[in-house]
Amino acid sequence: MIEVKNISKSFNKNKVLKDVNVDFEPGKVSMVIGKSGSGKTVLLKSIIGLHKPEEGEIFFDGREFINANIKFKRQIREEIGMVFQGGALFTSLTVEDNVRFALDLFSNKTKAEKKKRVDFCLERVDMQGSNELFPAEISGGMQKRVSIARAIVLNPKYLFCDEPNSGLDPQTAIIIDKLIREITLEYNITTIVNTHDMNSVMEIADNIYFINDGQKWWNGGRDDIFHSDNIELNDFVFASELYKKIKDVSK
Amino acid sequence: MFTIVGKYLVLMGNVFTKPVRGSIFFKRVLDEIEQIGVDSLWIVAIVSVFMGAVLTLQVAINFEAPFIPKYLIGLSARDTMILEFSSTIICLILAGKVGSNIASEIGTMRITEQIDALEIMGVNSASYLILPKMIAALVTFPVLNVVSIILGIFGGYAVAVFTDTVMVYDYLYGLNYAFVPFYVTYSLIKICVFSVIITSVSSFCGYYTSGGALEVGKSSTKAVVYSIILILLFNLILTQVLLT
Repeated sequence: MIEVKNISKSFNKNKVLKDVNVDFEPGKVSMVIGKSGSGKTVLLKSIIGLHKPEEGEIFFDGREFINANIKFKRQIREEIGMVFQGGALFTSLTVEDNVRFALDLFSNKTKAEKKKRVDFCLERVDMQGSNELFPAEISGGMQKRVSIARAIVLNPKYLFCDEPNSGLDPQTAIIIDKLIREITLEYNITTIVNTHDMNSVMEIADNIYFINDGQKWWNGGRDDIFHSDNIELNDFVFASELYKKIKDVSK
Repeated sequence: MFTIVGKYLVLMGNVFTKPVRGSIFFKRVLDEIEQIGVDSLWIVAIVSVFMGAVLTLQVAINFEAPFIPKYLIGLSARDTMILEFSSTIICLILAGKVGSNIASEIGTMRITEQIDALEIMGVNSASYLILPKMIAALVTFPVLNVVSIILGIFGGYAVAVFTDTVMVYDYLYGLNYAFVPFYVTYSLIKICVFSVIITSVSSFCGYYTSGGALEVGKSSTKAVVYSIILILLFNLILTQVLLT
């Protein structure tokens, strides 16, 4: 479980996060939604320590993270898997080397065991047989899948995904969404997904957190969204004609 | 200015930490030796041979007066190569080749979130990326220095063989005349210092890149400019300290 308590973060006097309180539960896909510039990426990066908040605390299963020393932070980070918006695969390494990277650094497995684990993870994301390809030789959707394989190779307790569907076609997006959900349930991972793709939200979200103007504006489940009278949330979620019609039907 | 120096020192503090895995680190150093050192050999070789040849020709042309011994042509070619060309000028060239490469490589990794990915995995990205480059440069640049000295002197020798500007005997006599072994030590000390400047400054410029492709280009340019200025400054300081 990840507990975020009273987090605030500013950039050059511009307060991007304002006293945010959120709890993310294990075995569930928690989705953080909000407009571009609302502060959701800053929240994600603050949780994993890429930004240091001015105020507040973050606990990973009761372990305080923000003020921990760098050695302890690195220990916790070994339990974190992250899928970046652009994949962030190491371009000089093959697909197999990318997935094996963390194993080489942090596990005591033999070469054969590592190979078996890498093959398992690649198979899990339906990327078997692409071991020797370089990131530049595969499509964006494939890069995202390899990125997920890399994120799960050390059996993480926490999985963070920053806009995992951006730039993907709807079919590939659904494959990625389902993969994230399956992995979350399979390994009881605390999964946090940043997105503004409402299709993803409706597809896999267990808990939804709506961030607006740097604050947690609303939270609830998938069904709750249709019955909420929160104006900002409704403006965001039902911006498209399609979702307006869906809302009308659900009423 | 103080902020930049402070950030540089903090980065260097992070660089000089114990690597996570010795075997991985060793492999990274070997890769960097190939990229930074071996891949620079051809440019160092070409520049050194031609500069040694041109230097010999120019000195020979300027030593026309009959009272100047001809063997001084060989001596001046040797000392110029050892004292200044094979350390300072070669490093100015390497600042352009290696420095821009390092800054753009690390800068691209920064803007494509590859450095963030390393950090999230619990890897000390500064140490993982920069330390192997610094060690590789420290190992290979002195070798390139010696290669440059030898090839530069060979370039001068080729001029003596293929033209009539200087006699081969005079050139060879000059090469052996009044040789000061410490000059080679001085040259090696300089190139070791310059190798640290090029790799650390370029890595610093790349590591703190933010923005997009344009900023990567700017970081690359900054890396070359700052490296060159620091090389010239330290060349002056080291010469004052070691030779006077």
